[in-house]
Amino acid sequence: MTQPALHSTPAGRAVLVEQIRAVALALRLPAIAAAVLLGVATLLVIGERVTGGGPVGFATELALIPGLVAALLPVGVWKGEDLFDAAFLWTLPVDRRRHALAKVCAGWVWLMAAVAFFILWFLGLAFFTGGNVLGDQMLRVLPSAIVPGAGPIDPAALQIVQWSPDAFLWVAPFTAATGAYLLASAIALGTRHPLRWIVGIFFGSLLASAIGSAAHIEWLTFGPARLWATLHAGPYGLDALLTARLQSLETLVPLSNGQVVGAWRGLPDVGHWAMATLLWIGVGLMSLWAAASRHRERRRPSRE
Amino acid sequence: MIRESDSEHGGAAAVTTHHLTKRYGTDTALDAVDLLVPEGAVYVLIGGNGAGKSTTLKVLMNLERPSSGTAEVFGLDTALRGPEVRAQVGYVPERHNPGYGWMTGGRLLQHIASYYPSWDDAYADHLIRGLDLRASRRVGSLSKGETRRLQLVMALAHRPPLLLLDEPTDGLDPVVRKRTLALLAEHLADTPTTVLITTHHLYEVESLADHVGVLSNGRLIAQMPRDDLQRTVRRYRIEVPDGWEAPSDLRIASERRSRTGREIQCIVVGEERAITERLTLAGARVHEVSSLALEDAALAFLPAEATR
Repeated sequence: MTQPALHSTPAGRAVLVEQIRAVALALRLPAIAAAVLLGVATLLVIGERVTGGGPVGFATELALIPGLVAALLPVGVWKGEDLFDAAFLWTLPVDRRRHALAKVCAGWVWLMAAVAFFILWFLGLAFFTGGNVLGDQMLRVLPSAIVPGAGPIDPAALQIVQWSPDAFLWVAPFTAATGAYLLASAIALGTRHPLRWIVGIFFGSLLASAIGSAAHIEWLTFGPARLWATLHAGPYGLDALLTARLQSLETLVPLSNGQVVGAWRGLPDVGHWAMATLLWIGVGLMSLWAAASRHRERRRPSRE
Repeated sequence: MIRESDSEHGGAAAVTTHHLTKRYGTDTALDAVDLLVPEGAVYVLIGGNGAGKSTTLKVLMNLERPSSGTAEVFGLDTALRGPEVRAQVGYVPERHNPGYGWMTGGRLLQHIASYYPSWDDAYADHLIRGLDLRASRRVGSLSKGETRRLQLVMALAHRPPLLLLDEPTDGLDPVVRKRTLALLAEHLADTPTTVLITTHHLYEVESLADHVGVLSNGRLIAQMPRDDLQRTVRRYRIEVPDGWEAPSDLRIASERRSRTGREIQCIVVGEERAITERLTLAGARVHEVSSLALEDAALAFLPAEATR
């Protein structure tokens, strides 16, 4: 018998294109649900505007949404793959690590499209309701000498500052989503039971604090909370990545006249945002590579 | 292990393993297996549950890393060239989980097609019709049998040089099983293919098989061409004197005595002439020697408890 002609492996581009198509199918239901939510939100905003509500303007809460969606996206992207067993994906004629990364890349493509759609929706809503998200805003800023939470503040102590959102704030949703998606993908790809890890770390830190408190060990009592605070709201923390610190910089302060108003502890800083973005995306890429490497082709042990 | 010599199969090997061993902790799933599947053969690997059949196929697909030893598919080392090996293989896994439950069968086939440049759309349609598969249904809603049929289309439609079929008829009703085997036979006639099938039920694929291997507790205890197997394992009807005991050097797979105890029907492994001479020398009179069905011949190599 003649030697059969051996079949070739698929081209990398064909695999990526097919993964983009397949991930689109996997994400179809969540995408429909998100579209319905945006539709409802649009109707609510228009309804409020018709009944005399104000126009849609800059809202820090909205900056969080791309990052949160990105963190959940890997659940949809990896739906149905039993990654730590003989997953369907691994039976296909593509290098396993490269294949996993192609799937992550496919999810990222749709994520960027979703973020772009979300921003356009938001800008469109602002435009049609007469708002101006690019316009100057008047912000109350706490002087650096005042520590929030120390007690009521004299209203005269608050500085009123004119601030126009920097152009980078419109890039931030894309970078925030990218960073969050990379980190979440690394967890989904690299751990057999992601939820157990997340819950375990949360309760582990609570337990550590409780033990520290019972044993009067100060660093153990407050260490986990401080670590979380740094990771979340530090200059290069997750909030700097996700919202350019819009969330952690804005705070509620009680005034001596009995009112409680929103005030800013500082203004978003491009440098902090850029550093945090580089840092977290770098960590995300390295984690993702390590996670994908857990599924690399099974090589023969070196002793063979 | 009983096997043919390497030169006997007279051609290149599609699959070879050398001392292939796979351990899970202290359990040994494969123990120094030296498999040899000649190119163009339909090789049926039989064995009981946990004998190591599925593990063998997983190692060939590079889904499992062997603890030691090597495996090659068309000369490609499975541990070093996994993607290239998988490009040559149509694989039906043991599990009835062909992929993404939210896709329709048709979309899943389209998905698979983009991974195999040799995918033959017209042939895929032919197989879908032949196996009476409703490709518009969601994969997650398919029955066990329908899932198996979809897996078979996925494995066959790119006309791979090697088919690795792990219990391919599992979950199929008798009518569909017959139709599936007919399609498989048609495929083999049209496409130069080597097939490695694992099964508990050799009789189901008996019409296709031309080589048989027997795995027991991770060890390959026999592998040979079908004709050799049926020539080597035979049923002997013998008459023996009272109190007769079989010679200890004979490999008797099963033995059934008549009520009087003087007539025995036994299945013995070995060359017929040598066995007949040995029995005669031991005082038995050989009345009849008959051949066995392929499955019965193969089961002769398994320990008695595995064949009950």
